[in-house]
Amino acid sequence: MTGAERNPAPPAIGFAPLVAAFLRLGGTSFGGGTAGWLHREMVLRRGWIDEQSFFAMLALGQVMPGSNGVKMTVLIGERLHGAAGAAAALAGLLAVPFAIVLALGAVYAGYGEHPLVHAMLDGVAAAVIGLTFASGLHGLVRGAPGLAAWAIAGATVLCVGVLRWPLLPVVAGLAPLSVGLAFAAARRG
Amino acid sequence: MRDGAGDILVALGLMFAPLSLLSFGGGNAVLADIATQSIAVHHWTSRREFADLFALSRAAPGPGSMLAALIGWQAAGIAGALVATLSFYLPGAVLVYGAARVWGRWRGSPWHAAVERGMAPIAAGLLVSGGIAVLRASPAGWPEWAAALIATVALLRWPRLHPVPLLLGGAALFLLLAVL
Repeated sequence: MTGAERNPAPPAIGFAPLVAAFLRLGGTSFGGGTAGWLHREMVLRRGWIDEQSFFAMLALGQVMPGSNGVKMTVLIGERLHGAAGAAAALAGLLAVPFAIVLALGAVYAGYGEHPLVHAMLDGVAAAVIGLTFASGLHGLVRGAPGLAAWAIAGATVLCVGVLRWPLLPVVAGLAPLSVGLAFAAARRG
Repeated sequence: MRDGAGDILVALGLMFAPLSLLSFGGGNAVLADIATQSIAVHHWTSRREFADLFALSRAAPGPGSMLAALIGWQAAGIAGALVATLSFYLPGAVLVYGAARVWGRWRGSPWHAAVERGMAPIAAGLLVSGGIAVLRASPAGWPEWAAALIATVALLRWPRLHPVPLLLGGAALFLLLAVL
């Protein structure tokens, strides 16, 4: 299969519709999980990106740092309109949430001392932490099954979450070990 | 005063830009580090403020977390918000842009698959650690842990559950607990 067959040329999308689409996405994708929102909008609703290309990009994003939504936005923008498309899509994605979050911050500065505000924000935070835990466990079950993967994940939680060691040395130490184990496992079976 | 403000902007950039390149598995992966640096190292927020800003950042739409914008805003106003946001998102964006151009050569090689599989459990562990870091920073104590675990179980049990009703439900529940 050639690259052209696997990744059909994307349809010609105007620059303005591209920016408008990402502005809209930035303003509506509540609750995190931007990659899921992008999939619905770009693949299912608009058909700007085909299914296969989308998941190839998502796989590329797996080994790169950064928020999935931001990575996917850069990759989709690049595919539809090159470097300028990537920059415009990213700016579009970030502009509305940036404005909204600062507006919320300003309201908080005015009413933040009220105990009921604290209570409500604690409730929101608890739900979002649940979302984070669920994503982590989901990633472990679907993205990396196996005893070795659970051990590596457990070691990561112990070092960073419980012992509060700095991130960089922990990742630098565990990454080669984990990749080596995955490599060995692939060779065996 | 101006020098002080400039120093804070530089400190914000130096804190968030490296985290941008370390956030494997998404922005939540570096939550633990953002909490430590904002609260204990730089004293930009108290524990109470950090917990509130975290919740605010999730009440807004958009990618992962606008927490960087709020921390920057708290530390140095609008300029701080801009510097923190750009530092947190641009380095990773440039990196993934560059990687997109060389990716074709790697696809299909056995070590490429090994890197993907090997990084996945670390990313998952960092996600969980980020949640623990926020729970520890929160002054609400055990009700917060309990509510977070209930939300976790609910989301695992019903994967299609939309997050927004859950956020509103959490807010309503804690409001009720505070009033009673």
